[in-house]
Amino acid sequence: MLFGFPSETASAFAGIRILAALTSKEFGSYMSGTMRNLFRGAFAAVAVLAVAVAPAAGQTAAYKAPRTADGKPDLNGIWQALGTAYWDVEGHAARPGAVVALGATGAVPGGLGVVEGGEIPYQPWAAAKKKENAKNWLTADPEIKCFMPGVPRATYMPFPFQIVQTPKSILMTYEFANASRVIYMDRPDFESPVDTWMGHARGRWEGETLVVDVTSFNDQTWFDRAGNFHSDALHVVERYTALSPAALRYDVTIEDAKVFTRPWKMSMPLYRRLDKNVQLLEFKCVEFVEELMYGPLRKKPSQ
Amino acid sequence: MNHRFPAAVIAVLSLAAPAAGQVTTKRTWTPPRTSWGEPDLQGIWDFATITPLERPSELAGKDVLTEQEATEREEQATQRRVDRPPKPGDTGSYNQFWFDAGTKVIATKRTSLVVDPPEGRIPPLTPEARKRGEARVALPPHPATGPEDLNLATRCILGFNAGPPMAPGAYNNNVQLFQAPGYVALLNEMVNDARIIPLDGRPHLPQNIRQWRGDSRGRWEGPTLVVDTTNFRDETNFRESSRNLHVVERFTRVDADTLLYQFTVDDPTTWTRPWSAAVPMRKTEGPIFEYACHEGNYGMFNILTGARAEEKAAAEAAQKGTR
Repeated sequence: MLFGFPSETASAFAGIRILAALTSKEFGSYMSGTMRNLFRGAFAAVAVLAVAVAPAAGQTAAYKAPRTADGKPDLNGIWQALGTAYWDVEGHAARPGAVVALGATGAVPGGLGVVEGGEIPYQPWAAAKKKENAKNWLTADPEIKCFMPGVPRATYMPFPFQIVQTPKSILMTYEFANASRVIYMDRPDFESPVDTWMGHARGRWEGETLVVDVTSFNDQTWFDRAGNFHSDALHVVERYTALSPAALRYDVTIEDAKVFTRPWKMSMPLYRRLDKNVQLLEFKCVEFVEELMYGPLRKKPSQ
Repeated sequence: MNHRFPAAVIAVLSLAAPAAGQVTTKRTWTPPRTSWGEPDLQGIWDFATITPLERPSELAGKDVLTEQEATEREEQATQRRVDRPPKPGDTGSYNQFWFDAGTKVIATKRTSLVVDPPEGRIPPLTPEARKRGEARVALPPHPATGPEDLNLATRCILGFNAGPPMAPGAYNNNVQLFQAPGYVALLNEMVNDARIIPLDGRPHLPQNIRQWRGDSRGRWEGPTLVVDTTNFRDETNFRESSRNLHVVERFTRVDADTLLYQFTVDDPTTWTRPWSAAVPMRKTEGPIFEYACHEGNYGMFNILTGARAEEKAAAEAAQKGTR
């Protein structure tokens, strides 16, 4: 047996060859059906499996991105997620918003969810905390305060982001809150000396896929506006694979032994912004939240 | 308006290049090119220096420091970098670990970063700009009535050196430059500001779209990256500038370890004439760190809380006094 997998994992592994013939959509439903069983196996084995699966999935896409001058898939561009993962990464029906005055414009649109298997595998205490977060959304969500959204949340905010790709480092700049991060492509042993909001990112190419390993998070960011959260033990592996000239597939593996019972995954497409002369505009939201954050500390007119 | 860099500045550029080159005696140094053929300016660049933007009045008439004067100033700067307890009654500020304003004068030993006007001083403000400045200074700086009374750096909206234009300050004097076909990106550590500059010749944003850091467009002129920025907001306020600020920046790699950064600023509603500065940036290993200014802005919370506490104490004291 190739890597000494537990037997049920190994049999699923054999199925990968079949997967190569599926479309990415079919692949997705296959994965959601089998993942729960797979995860009964050792986490480590699953992690290796995940790495093995992706190139197969890349093959199913049957698309080879144009190359940069150094021969890597060219992911340069301005990208944006559609859908409603920024409201709630899990599947959800439409619901009224938290601010009455906003009426229909503040209501939450429904979404099928982007979490593989549908639900995030919280530990019991963390499931309770998530509920608490959701209840206190208006005061607890760091997005409301214009804090950097963290990763992967930054990717599927309702704002564009831009990839500037060079051989040694890749800059990802997000319109929301001016957030940016550098993905180190040439420093695999470079550990972050400090915790961060946007993570410490080291990347590599696996065939058609940019794989980004992100560590050194603080525990202050969330995954969405539904209170889904993590601890400072968060480890994110992102995979960016071109599906066509105008779309990427974004696959994320989330691991956080303090909060979840096992690693879990999200997957969604990202779309190229094709608008004429499209560019990131400023969204320096600090000035939009000063009243919210510091209003109570203003000098009262009566004083 | 198509700005040409003044002759004086070009003279400095030609002075700067051999001077910086002397170390390695590489006068025939050829800048590297990206694989798609543009001059390669990439890397992390450090623009900390003790050379002031404007020539100090005691150096009037003196363009360049002697070797000995430069050494003295650098030694003094090093000696100043020692932590001392704050004065009694003073809460103190950042310690020296935080500050990073450099300990070196620029390689040309020029006495100012301003190169035009040649006397190294920023031209006089127009009467209109003087009025703007006075109105701002007249705001009660303390105690602050609300966040808007504090400057943009304290509010974490704009840093004081990320530009455009970039001018050295007390810390975070570094920028990482990235190039991909059609774009140059500048990531300043200060306030985490990234600027992505299209090189495809597209027009500036419409006049009604105004930004804190303006709107930048780039082009190549031989070995030099030229970045033209307009569409500023009034509040951006680079040394009293208005929304009419027009910044032209020029980036030229003059040797392996030096990126010469020059800028010309023009705003007829602010200065009586355009002015220019030249800042040699030095290659550094970095890295650029995440600068979560707003996320950790305890300063704003504490300043406003302190101001309200002082008012309360004063009101209570006044009440006591009237009894």
